[in-house]
Amino acid sequence: QQTTNTVFFFFFFIRLSLDERIYVKMRNDRELRGRLHAYDQHLNMILGDVEETVTTIEIDEETYEEIYKSTKRNIPMLFVRGDGVVLVAPPLRVG
Amino acid sequence: MEVSHSVKERTIAENSLVILLQGLHGLVTTVDLRDESTATGRVTNVDAFMNMRLAEVTFTDRQGLVSRLDELFVTGRNVRYVHIPDEVDIRATIERQLQAIHRVRYFGGRDKGRKEFPRAKHK
Repeated sequence: QQTTNTVFFFFFFIRLSLDERIYVKMRNDRELRGRLHAYDQHLNMILGDVEETVTTIEIDEETYEEIYKSTKRNIPMLFVRGDGVVLVAPPLRVG
Repeated sequence: MEVSHSVKERTIAENSLVILLQGLHGLVTTVDLRDESTATGRVTNVDAFMNMRLAEVTFTDRQGLVSRLDELFVTGRNVRYVHIPDEVDIRATIERQLQAIHRVRYFGGRDKGRKEFPRAKHK
């Protein structure tokens, strides 16, 4: 009973994000920021004006400290397969 | 329009965003795979499970090595992203695909032919 209610609320609220900019966290240390044009029950999504950020961690061989590097790229219109999606949220406000 | 011959696949496609990918038939698109490789080519087939067939493909593997393939089959599970070409009107493409499915479904008219979803028999 509990789990069906949670899923219902998610799909109820994600409708409000249509045509809004959203933040999507994906598997393999990826993040997307873009305008949500469409989604379906698998969380396949169509995002417009997308910025993808891929974050990698490199270990410095001498100091063994972790160096976080991120690579960004822009894509005008992207179809995202739902099984890679971890979370969906309004865009994070910086500062 | 290329509609699947399978009732099950038509229904699955109709109820998800795969139908948009099916509308990209014949267009040159870039598919980013789960293993970080990319394939750019003409879409020749997309099924309800997002399995894709591309033709005249430029395939860039994880290491960056570029190769050319006449045909490529990608399992749906291995798709991460599909870059939608700029000229595609998403709403129109989806509507066109849905109309194609409806044409197949209601072929022959109301009282003719095999029905996709048989009506309940009145007792």
